[in-house]
Amino acid sequence: MVDTAMHETAFIHAAEEYTVQEEPYYLPIADEIELFETAYAQRIPVLLKGPTGAGKTRFVEYMAWRLGRPFSKVSARTGVEAEHRKPLITVACHEDLTASDLVGRYLLDTDGTRWVDGPLTRAVKVGAICYLDEVVEARKDTTVLIHPLTDYRRLLPIEKLGQVIEAADGFLLVISYNPGYQSALKDLKHSTRQRFISIEFGYPPKEQETDIIAHESGVARNVAGDLAKLGEKVRNLREHGLSEGVSTRLLIYAGRLIANGVAPRRACQVAVTWSLTDDQEVQRSIEEVVTSIFE
Amino acid sequence: MSIVGELLARHQVRLSGFPAPLQQHYEAGLRALAPRLSPSQLQIWSETGVELTALSLRSWEAAVEYFKAGTVLPENATWDSIEALGREAITMAAESAPLAVSFLRSAPGAIQAVGPNHVRQWADLGRRLYKGNWKSSSLAAQFYDLGPNVFQVMRVGQVSRLVLFIDELSRHSYELASACLSSAPAVLGKLDEGDRLPFIAFAVELAQSSWADSRLYFERGAPLLQKVHGPLRERYLLLAAQVARGHNRSAFQYFEEAAVAFGELEPDDHHKVVELAEQLAPYSSFAAMDFITSVPRVLQRIRIDELEPWQQAGFRILQHSHDGGEAYFRLQSTRGEDILDTLSARVELSKVGEILRLYCKALTGRNLSVQTTASLAEKGIGWVDQQKASTEGTTIFLPEVMERYTEKDENFAAIKVFATHQAARLELGSFDFRFDRSPAVFEDSRPAATEGFTSTAVTDIERFFDLFPDRQLASDLFTVVEDGRIDAAIKREYGGIRRALTRMQKAALGAREDVRRMPLRTAFVENLVRASLDGSDAVLYPRGRAAEMAQGLGLLKAVAVPEAVVEDSGEATMRLYRLALTIPNVFEEQEDGEWDSVEPMDGMEQGGMEGGGEMGGQGGEMQPGDVGEGEEEYQSPDDVDYRGDFKPELVQLLMKLRKDAQGGNAGEMSPTPLTEEQLKELLEKSMDFDLDSLMEGDLDATTGMFMSNLMKEAGTPSQDKDSKKGDPTSDQSSGEGEGEEALVPLITTYYYDEWDFRAQDYKPRWCAVKEQKLDQGEENFYENALREHAGLVAQTRKQFELMKPELFRKIKRLPDGEDFDLDGAIEWMIERRAGVYPNDKIYWRRNKIERDVAVAFLIDMSASTDEEINKREKKYDEDEYDDDPRKYLSWWVSKRRQELTAPPKRIIDLEKESTVLLMTALETIGDQYGIYGFSGYGRDNVEFFVIKDFDEHLDHAIKQRLDKITPIRSTRMGPAIRHATYKLNLTDAKVKILVLLSDGRPQDHGYGRDRTEKEYAIHDTKQALNEAKREGITPFALTVDRAGHDYLKTMCEDMGYEVVADIEALPSRLPTLYRRLTE
Repeated sequence: MVDTAMHETAFIHAAEEYTVQEEPYYLPIADEIELFETAYAQRIPVLLKGPTGAGKTRFVEYMAWRLGRPFSKVSARTGVEAEHRKPLITVACHEDLTASDLVGRYLLDTDGTRWVDGPLTRAVKVGAICYLDEVVEARKDTTVLIHPLTDYRRLLPIEKLGQVIEAADGFLLVISYNPGYQSALKDLKHSTRQRFISIEFGYPPKEQETDIIAHESGVARNVAGDLAKLGEKVRNLREHGLSEGVSTRLLIYAGRLIANGVAPRRACQVAVTWSLTDDQEVQRSIEEVVTSIFE
Repeated sequence: MSIVGELLARHQVRLSGFPAPLQQHYEAGLRALAPRLSPSQLQIWSETGVELTALSLRSWEAAVEYFKAGTVLPENATWDSIEALGREAITMAAESAPLAVSFLRSAPGAIQAVGPNHVRQWADLGRRLYKGNWKSSSLAAQFYDLGPNVFQVMRVGQVSRLVLFIDELSRHSYELASACLSSAPAVLGKLDEGDRLPFIAFAVELAQSSWADSRLYFERGAPLLQKVHGPLRERYLLLAAQVARGHNRSAFQYFEEAAVAFGELEPDDHHKVVELAEQLAPYSSFAAMDFITSVPRVLQRIRIDELEPWQQAGFRILQHSHDGGEAYFRLQSTRGEDILDTLSARVELSKVGEILRLYCKALTGRNLSVQTTASLAEKGIGWVDQQKASTEGTTIFLPEVMERYTEKDENFAAIKVFATHQAARLELGSFDFRFDRSPAVFEDSRPAATEGFTSTAVTDIERFFDLFPDRQLASDLFTVVEDGRIDAAIKREYGGIRRALTRMQKAALGAREDVRRMPLRTAFVENLVRASLDGSDAVLYPRGRAAEMAQGLGLLKAVAVPEAVVEDSGEATMRLYRLALTIPNVFEEQEDGEWDSVEPMDGMEQGGMEGGGEMGGQGGEMQPGDVGEGEEEYQSPDDVDYRGDFKPELVQLLMKLRKDAQGGNAGEMSPTPLTEEQLKELLEKSMDFDLDSLMEGDLDATTGMFMSNLMKEAGTPSQDKDSKKGDPTSDQSSGEGEGEEALVPLITTYYYDEWDFRAQDYKPRWCAVKEQKLDQGEENFYENALREHAGLVAQTRKQFELMKPELFRKIKRLPDGEDFDLDGAIEWMIERRAGVYPNDKIYWRRNKIERDVAVAFLIDMSASTDEEINKREKKYDEDEYDDDPRKYLSWWVSKRRQELTAPPKRIIDLEKESTVLLMTALETIGDQYGIYGFSGYGRDNVEFFVIKDFDEHLDHAIKQRLDKITPIRSTRMGPAIRHATYKLNLTDAKVKILVLLSDGRPQDHGYGRDRTEKEYAIHDTKQALNEAKREGITPFALTVDRAGHDYLKTMCEDMGYEVVADIEALPSRLPTLYRRLTE
């Protein structure tokens, strides 16, 4: 079984203190790891492109873990290298996310107001990787912040405080973007886009996807293979009744259900068919693919 | 002196005043009767005759007939009947002499036919028709004239019903009554004795309800009735009569249709059908008849024993709602359709085609379409079988109906196996055979085989088959090997379908002919087929030859591995071919010829099968097609149904042709396009073409036609139809060129359901909406309209500019936000200090307001919009000139002048102008909008004109189209609204608005029970608006019909509507309304 992170009680981290402790499972498809490492070394911001559930977030986590691996440097304060991990701050962008949500704001305190740094400010200060997920969803004023941070200046202006923060050395901005489902209105502007190198994430090839599903869900490899096959077939329907193919994540969910005793056909129905579409005819077609593959 | 002489003498004086024949006939009659009657009877007879002469001016003619009758009275005529005859004649002659003449003339025959005791009755019947005018008298006379004939086919009681019918009919039309009467004996004569009375009974009903149909009934009724099983005719007529009793004008039509329906059924089933219909009749006689009419069509889909459940389901609906039930039995209800679908075990491709299409697309990753096998055969491109599934590379052809099993699920599973096999051929590359690609399992023996052998082949697979002298055998072997590979792969890859496939394989095995009756080589191939069907048990071969068979089976098995590709099938084919040639095609006669099962030999190159140099049939050991001494001719094995047709040569050819047609992608083998000769050559040698069935007659002509079909097919690559609800079906493929405006309007047809409020159900796919771009007219119109309303334009534009949302608006007093709202923060502080619990809504934030509106304008282009506005206004003007002629004159003169300078405006003109104004406004504000017009006639022809589609920009073409908005025909609003809804749904705007601009109520041919009915159309429109609302669209109806309030209230119950009473105000009103709607 995979570690699905079930803790007795939740761990509470300050945003900038959250680091990836365990090595996340990540199966490289191409040279994306090397690319990212090189980009990081050069402090070139990275744009991750790809459909939902293709592993963008996992990749960032993996890279944070990888970049945070200790170089056996001993900290003067604690004597151990435990704190020398790469902090990762992830912000899921939504349409009401404004610049001040990222930078920070005054909060009311018992005796007045207190400034609280936003996630981006924290990342800039501690030199973390700041990952803005689905960045096009955010309001346009956020780009004002992104631009000076992503070129040679690496500056974060904080208007309300009248400050400008120079980013800590370790800071890197990573954004993700799903070209598939955003409408034309919500395209990434070129002035933003051209500040990043882009790493494309597709769905993994069948063999690798089989490995991923098997690893993540704990199903037998042949079942994982069938799930990967299902994924491949269903993705053939993209643009044809389906706006987006089935994600690896969904296939893993199906796998987990199967691994825990749900009948395969049923598992695929709830995890794949019904999650993908509401169109009855398309559902039925996917169902037929499912019943062809699974007994 | 005899009594005769005495009587003659006595009456001579009285009779002498009349023409001579009278006396002669009297004498003749008297002499003839003398032997039969007593003197006193003779005397009475004579006196009656004489009395007749005196009744009226022409009654002597009746007397002549009376006396004449005396000579010809039949044997059975009793004195009573003779006396009755006389009395009747007198009464009749008193009223109408000609009537009496006819009566008496026919009397002898009638007495003979009807018997002497019924004379009075007969006379009464005729008299019933007599109404005192000459027309009725001639009808009654006609009846008497007909007398004997009628009685030959009918009894008196029946005749009385006939008279009732004729009488009824005569109230409407004497001509018709007369015609029916004269044809009655012939018509009734055709009927069985027992059917006559019911036949007439129905005629009576018909005469009462729709008398005009009586002639048809008399002309066609008898043969129609005979379609019904004998014993049931009466019951059937009773059913039909109930419809007529419902005062329905189309009673005959009901009768006819149902009778025709009976003609299509087995007589044994009639009883059941009538019984079920009788159950319905008390609730609705129409439903009962419609039920009968629908049975043949229903039985195409369900079995006869499923008919009752279907009827019962409809019966239940009927009990609750007459209209619902009637629609159900007319097969015009969606519910009925659903029930039929549930009951029916069979699976129709038309229903599951879309599912299978997506399914196949998922499996193959190609844009496939799914069509019926019949449509493939129709193309005339080499496939001739109407039934067999197949594929030509871009389309999968499946049987239209699957009803192999008694359960729907099983049938679906079966058709899915069919589809899967075809899809797998594409997925696994059965048609991608490449001559120079290496196999994965076998050793490549093709290069060796082709040494010193140049090929002129067009396709790879053709080149491959060219290696084999016996092409038929090679083709069969390749087919079985490849199908075996496909089936094995399906079973391996698609565990879920394994069971259904195995079941079909078993069934296919069971249907095969006995292998032991086949000659050896044929049996060899047959056994391969069996083995490929997973039927190793079914493989039987003579012991003496078991080794070859085992090798063959081993080769077959070798391609059933995951790595195997189509080239492996080719390699296996080569080896099998050589093996097959070593087996003589003779019947097994040796002593050790016991047939036994054979185990496949493992490995693929055994028993001297290696050595690629050894070519099948090459080197002259065996000549192709030669039937050796005592050998049987080789016969291809039977087809396996679910595998269908496999025509690799044809498919490769087609693919190649397509490629050439699409601009000649530098081909791998022949970069130059095919020549006709090459094609012909291919055609003649390939096994894919069943020449026998393809060709009837001239070979050249057939091949020519075939090739042109093939070229055509290749030239038009099948389009992937993107169909959703409201399937667009392209009627014409003209104007495919992109960018350029098509010369011929491109019409796309969409089908929509229609709401029948009586049945409370949809009529499935009832209306055909034909969408097309409106023609282009002058562009001036647009500019003129703008100029004319220049002031208004500026005003609207300004108003709309104000509406443009500020992108960010500051919103205060929020619990969370970008920054403190100073006022709020101060208050908070004060309250805190004062010890009150402070209000913590002290933030502000900028809220983004995005205007995301799509609006569709639907303009009524019905003929009524042609009306001039002035006309409507006139009655209001009238008051002004108070009968003062001078005032009127000056008004008239000014009006004329006005009309000359500017032609009078029509409703449509104002609709158009308003649209122009609104368009400028919309352009200002940036909303997405579409402008559509609709009209049409009847449900099959709802015209939907695109003036501006959502994705089009306002350009010259559109301005020109605006000019062409003209009144056309009717107003079937429902489908137009549904189509506009469909269009709106294609946009991704948050706010969707549908504005309906009309000048009156919805109205169309067949949009309601008859032309005067309004409810049906209004309800359908209302339903269509409701549907739009359910889809999240805001409908708004705007009408310039002053009487609009009454129906708009019903139509738009809880939706917005407005009646613009002053139509001139429309141009200014419309933008205002729109603003209100979206603000």
